[in-house]
Amino acid sequence: MDTFNNFLNGTVTLFSDPIGILIFLGGVVGGMLFGAIPGVSMLTLAAILLPFTAHLSPEHGIMLFSVIYCTGVYGGAITAILFNIPGAPENAPTAFDGYPMTRNGQAGKAVGAAVMCSALGGTVSAVIMMIATAPIANWAIRSFGPPEIFALVFFGLAVASSVGARTFWKGWLSILVGLLIAIVGLDPVGGIERWDFNMPYLLAGIHFIPAILGFFAVSEIFVQAEKKVTGSYRAPELSVDFPSLAELIAHKFAVIRSILIGFFCGILPGIGATLAAFMGYNEAVRWSKDRSEFGKGKMEGVISSETANNAATGAAMIPLLALGLPGGALTAMMVGVFQMHDMEPGPLVFINSADLVWVVFSAMFFANLSILLIGWLETKTIINLLRIPFQFLAPLILCLATVGSYAVRGLTIDIIVMFIAGVVGFFLRRSGYSLAGIVLGLILGRIGEQTFAQAMQMLHFEWSGFFGRPIALALLVAGFATLAGSIYGAFFRRRH
Amino acid sequence: MGNLRIGQIVEAALWITLVIFLFAYSFEFDREIEIYKYGAAAWPRAILLLIFIAALGQLLQQWYRGDEASSDMMEKAAEDGAHEAAEEAHHNTLAWYLYTFAISVIPFAYILVPDWIAAAMGLEKPGLHVAKLAVAALLLVLFIILVRGNQLGGMIALPVLFAAMMQDLGFYALAPFFIMAVMYLMGERRFGRMLIISAGIYAVLLALFVSVLYVGLPTGNISPFYEFGTGMVTILQ
Amino acid sequence: MQFKKTLASTGIVAASMMLGANLAYAACATDGLPASMDGPGGYPERALTMIVPYGPAGGSGQVAQAMAQAVTELTGVSINRDHKPGGSGTVGMTAFMAAPADGYTVLEHIDDASSAHALDSGRPNPAEDLVPLVTSQITFSQIYIRSNEDRYTDWASFVEWVKAQNGKATIANVSKEGSMERVTMKFITDATGMQIQQISFDKGAPRYGALAGGQVDALFEQPGDVRKFLDAGTFKPILTILKDRPGAFAEVPALTDSGLDFDPLFRFRGFYVHKDAPADRVEWLQWAFQKAFCQESYQAFNESKFMNLIESYRDTAGSMELITNTIGQYRDVYKEMGLEVK
Repeated sequence: MDTFNNFLNGTVTLFSDPIGILIFLGGVVGGMLFGAIPGVSMLTLAAILLPFTAHLSPEHGIMLFSVIYCTGVYGGAITAILFNIPGAPENAPTAFDGYPMTRNGQAGKAVGAAVMCSALGGTVSAVIMMIATAPIANWAIRSFGPPEIFALVFFGLAVASSVGARTFWKGWLSILVGLLIAIVGLDPVGGIERWDFNMPYLLAGIHFIPAILGFFAVSEIFVQAEKKVTGSYRAPELSVDFPSLAELIAHKFAVIRSILIGFFCGILPGIGATLAAFMGYNEAVRWSKDRSEFGKGKMEGVISSETANNAATGAAMIPLLALGLPGGALTAMMVGVFQMHDMEPGPLVFINSADLVWVVFSAMFFANLSILLIGWLETKTIINLLRIPFQFLAPLILCLATVGSYAVRGLTIDIIVMFIAGVVGFFLRRSGYSLAGIVLGLILGRIGEQTFAQAMQMLHFEWSGFFGRPIALALLVAGFATLAGSIYGAFFRRRH
Repeated sequence: MGNLRIGQIVEAALWITLVIFLFAYSFEFDREIEIYKYGAAAWPRAILLLIFIAALGQLLQQWYRGDEASSDMMEKAAEDGAHEAAEEAHHNTLAWYLYTFAISVIPFAYILVPDWIAAAMGLEKPGLHVAKLAVAALLLVLFIILVRGNQLGGMIALPVLFAAMMQDLGFYALAPFFIMAVMYLMGERRFGRMLIISAGIYAVLLALFVSVLYVGLPTGNISPFYEFGTGMVTILQ
Repeated sequence: MQFKKTLASTGIVAASMMLGANLAYAACATDGLPASMDGPGGYPERALTMIVPYGPAGGSGQVAQAMAQAVTELTGVSINRDHKPGGSGTVGMTAFMAAPADGYTVLEHIDDASSAHALDSGRPNPAEDLVPLVTSQITFSQIYIRSNEDRYTDWASFVEWVKAQNGKATIANVSKEGSMERVTMKFITDATGMQIQQISFDKGAPRYGALAGGQVDALFEQPGDVRKFLDAGTFKPILTILKDRPGAFAEVPALTDSGLDFDPLFRFRGFYVHKDAPADRVEWLQWAFQKAFCQESYQAFNESKFMNLIESYRDTAGSMELITNTIGQYRDVYKEMGLEVK
């Protein structure tokens, strides 16, 4: 009952303070808006707001960011569905089926499913987070060292290689290109300059935000521009018919499976919601009877990915609050909020600032619930963006993307990288390669190399050391099995 | 067997060229690190090797099985209309690719050429700035000439050019022209409407990000663009 | 004082040691400067831009925030912080050098700028190509273990245990070769003759998590960065990398006690302006940043980061001396280590 009482106390503290309510509502709306405006994302908003949190109390600052996190992960789904522009990497799989649904005139259904599932996944995950933060965090930090994280990255990449590309080989080549791009900059062991081609700005490495914006948002604009040139452009049909409750209940297993996957992936530091969404989607495909429907606009794809990534939000708070280990870009910024107030997230926070923790927990719970209410309203308005003639929407999206990619690190090279990624994406999309695979490779590449190097250093460069670590071994075996299955399928599968 | 098309061989050749080029470049950082015996080049080379294998594997499979998707699911996932749009517009001919490539070189010319001129003539910062402005003007004229025959190519190259000039000339001065140019390349020809909507987009962007959220957008480094950019910031904040 | 002498011998002209407890009453380094000063010809007529070559959350981001706040409190001039992280500070430095030298753009940077110049003289020399306005944080490093560790409990037993592991013991450290942290670890292993595998982490949080979670045996870090773990009793220091013990860590052995004979390297953070900026503007900036060091808010910040254990303040001349000596020190070390010095 302790948990419940703490939750009640947190709720009372949250809603008895007018400024707190204001910030809560601001965060809910801001996260949704920035998630849902094509070209910018919750990360843009978070990067912009970070310096201002110095003027807020620590409770308000952290609460604001956690609320933005919950609603922003949902908001990113809106643009993924309507424009094929995932607001954040964790929304990329949502676009696989969400965008085809929009082209089929089912935008309303897709967005409705995203609203329901985000709220559900997020709320359940918030509840588990309240109950289990301390014990799970302790387990994760002891059991998941660099060898395990490397093995998990490998497994994640092996799984993702079978999503989104036309063939197994193209799937792997896409991921490998992502890994290759991640190498540019300083190496993660000795800080040695690699593939900088004597351009100092390249030493900063290639960030995934401009890459995502370029591959998805900018390349989509080029494709639409091409259709404009030939006169084959047609505006997507609007629809506001939301899915019925029965339709959602029909997918209850997908929802439960995605909650479990999302929560588990979210706990792991440095992996977080992105892998959660990819794995949620991929498992949905694997468990399905009619796999051929995926990628054409199947609601289950949207449901699986959106449930999983929101389920990861609560889980990501566990290593952050209990151990001070951020799981992704947004939680890393939350560390910044803590530090601006001379606090450090970690075991101490639970002792010294239990109030803060529970205000944040209840804020996240209610933020997820409010996705349901405000999400419906917002969706009905934001969907009208599709009515704007594309030649006017395009420059707006391009400018927003410019601001969005620049605001993350303040480097103009990020804008250049974004637009080059747009051009590359435009041509790669003609060829059956997977842009999502490149992005995943880029995001996980550096973690992968770093944890591999750390694992080797820890295991004294003896590869057999993996055998002494059961979790790492199991993940590696699973990864190789996935790989072997795909190779077998590529060569020996009979065409039907 | 024997199902290869020219395009597939070219594709494999491109992959292998990339691998060889990057492998050659990896000797630049092929150093051992005192606490890590594999050194800085091991991981990149392992990935290059895997790319090499995958490119050959793809070629082998195409030779063996033809151009067939690995599974129906994967076939569907890779279809998003981009390929069809290209075919319809006849934007898949060699001539079109070459033309587009020529336009796309312009932004990179802006990044590289002024530095070459400065190095060749031993210019200091003020001289470099003059060189940059001159090159920028020249390239813009070239861009406008080339775009007349390839609107989509222009649309593709324009944002990169916009970004390449951003550090020197600033967001504030470039954005209005960029917005107008995108509309033009998207086929809009009603200039009154273009002016009003561009002004609207520009105003909304600046009001939201600069006035309300205090984002420091690039002001540019070269006079008079620098003064214009910082002046705008001072007015807006 | 022995401590003072050894600092001076490493090129650090130390003033007095200050302890946190009496800091609030202690005279501050720049009390002698005038309380206000008019900028030349209406300067600054708009906000200053401070380029920070690291993210907002880390040590540099925080000191930039605290200093900007203190300068604004003092002068009423607002400062926009522009974070340009990447390339171990190279990217922010490059962007700063490309910006017009009109006195409206200032730079935050750390000792990495000095060691980068020592390794490659093509990189800007912070003492010659820039004018240091103030150095506002100088700190030392320590070695940490888990408080509940039972295989070893102090420096002596740690060294003995490490030697018994035959090179299989591990310590978490940063991932930049030639950095202050890695060079210092080399000093320690050379001086003790122990073999220990360093594990490289480029971000702080996973580095601390590795020690807390038992993935590594020890951690190399500066006290201000792990203060939460020290206050929580999760980590404890077993070696202070200074010649003598500072008061706040009186129970932890320092170099001299442990028979380690090398000159410690320091982490320092400061603020700079381009050397081509107009001289009268530079003068005003020097006054503003040096005076701001003694603002109450800044002093409180430094205290919270353990930046009051050794003298953290240098004016322009002091900073130049600190930087020049540091560059010389690193250059010697690099040559000795066989690194290619350009």
